[in-house]
Amino acid sequence: MTTTTKAPQPDLLVREPGPQELDPARTHRRRRTLEISLAVAVPAVLLLLWQLAAVQGWIDDRIYPAPQTILEDGVERAAAGELWPDVWATLKRVLAGYAVGTVSGYALGLLMGSLSLVRAALEPLLDALYVVPKLALLPIFLNMFGLGEGPQIALVAATVFFFVWISTMAAVLAVPTGHRDAGQVFGATPWQMFRHVLLPASLPAVLVGARIAAGVAVLVIVASESIAADEGLGHLIFDSRALFQNDIMFVGIVCVAVLGVLFSELVRLVGRLLTPWAPRDHGRGQS
Amino acid sequence: MGDDPHPTPPPKLHATRLTRAFGRGSKRVDALGPVELDVAPGEFTCIVGPSGCGKSTLLRIAAGLLRPSSGRLEIRTDSARPAAMIFQDYGIYDWKTVLANVRFGLDIQRVPRKEADARAHALLARMGLADFAQAYPSALSGGMQQRVAIARALAVEPEILLMDEPFAALDAQLRTILQDELLELTQATRTTTLFITHSLEEAIVLGDRVLVMSSRPGRIIAERRPPFARPRTGDIRDSPEFTALKGELWELLRGEVRPEVVPV
Repeated sequence: MTTTTKAPQPDLLVREPGPQELDPARTHRRRRTLEISLAVAVPAVLLLLWQLAAVQGWIDDRIYPAPQTILEDGVERAAAGELWPDVWATLKRVLAGYAVGTVSGYALGLLMGSLSLVRAALEPLLDALYVVPKLALLPIFLNMFGLGEGPQIALVAATVFFFVWISTMAAVLAVPTGHRDAGQVFGATPWQMFRHVLLPASLPAVLVGARIAAGVAVLVIVASESIAADEGLGHLIFDSRALFQNDIMFVGIVCVAVLGVLFSELVRLVGRLLTPWAPRDHGRGQS
Repeated sequence: MGDDPHPTPPPKLHATRLTRAFGRGSKRVDALGPVELDVAPGEFTCIVGPSGCGKSTLLRIAAGLLRPSSGRLEIRTDSARPAAMIFQDYGIYDWKTVLANVRFGLDIQRVPRKEADARAHALLARMGLADFAQAYPSALSGGMQQRVAIARALAVEPEILLMDEPFAALDAQLRTILQDELLELTQATRTTTLFITHSLEEAIVLGDRVLVMSSRPGRIIAERRPPFARPRTGDIRDSPEFTALKGELWELLRGEVRPEVVPV
């Protein structure tokens, strides 16, 4: 912010209150109103443009159905009860895989962050596995768990695991020496050290990893369902495309988007409750 | 201020009923003022006061980083940016060499490279940093880094020098050395300076005037003129007048430094 204003006199530089200082409440109110209007208006305008383009025939509405058509189809399918089995199947897999991946990633991250020998033993291996596209592991999981829920859940778990593991390990390693030293001088046992120092100190960073993982979990499940599943939103999207039901395909896409946003917001909310001391982060998740 | 004996030149800085508040509604906090202040051209003014009393806020208003909530501050100058500021830390850039750091203000003001280099080199030589021109700040000690910060501010030949606890992060011995160096520099240039510090000793050694601020919202509650003629040196620290003035200022300040939790 620049506050240099030249006064009428040529040789005088004046610092005086601006509109923001003279009426802070009003300025703030205006700013908020503008922000909220923009947040609503930008998506609304894009949707309206899309609708207009479909109605006017600028785009082929068999390939890009109008938002209104998508909404009507979605409501219709939901009312007929045809949508829920797919949503539920996807949700189930995401939640189960996320739980397994988070817990195992957190445990191993803590272990590797605290014990340098474990880190030495596992870090090169996990680093190598980290860069393997998880979807490439799906065939292996299919062989291991057969058809059914197993491979899907395993795939989500493997994806989430790496995000949580890497952020946990980095967070534990980044705990300042001074924090550890204070505990050590008091004679803290490893458990006490974990409970009082490492856990709370690492939690904010771990939660960032967990939030990124929440978005990626939804992303991966949709991809995997499109390859090997009889139900789920990923299956719905690709199946309806194969049947040239593009409006249903879009219903599926919208459901995935809503699911992803709700899930990552849920993780953020839980994170905020778990870390009341951490500065509030207003950023959105990566989902 | 009552005992101001030099009305002749118009003041370089002139503040009237200057205040600043932060936050809105019930969370509103009055940080500063009202402050009335005149600073004569070439005067070195030190401001002492308890933590959170708005000293830095006053400086930031003078620097143009912040607007006042009410009142006004007039700076007598032709330039739109007459000031240079020296911060406690975060001042100099890790990714620039010492020379590039000192040249930074000149680069921003689009001074030709040749001239800027010459001015930066001259200042580095004066600050005893000539051998470190191509070094990065991380290779320097804290005292050296703060010298770089001072050199960077002086390089633009500012009309007003604003210093916000520049030596607070240094150890006591280094502080004394840098105080003496700054004393020598400023007595040579006679730049109008606002200098904020927690250290009474620092204020007395360096200042033509010492202003004492109250706890929040900060107002100026007293003014003293250290009775030492210029040019002076750090030796005045040993004089009885120095000790007496320090004791007097501490008496004024002690009542303001309350052991309370100051939410910022």
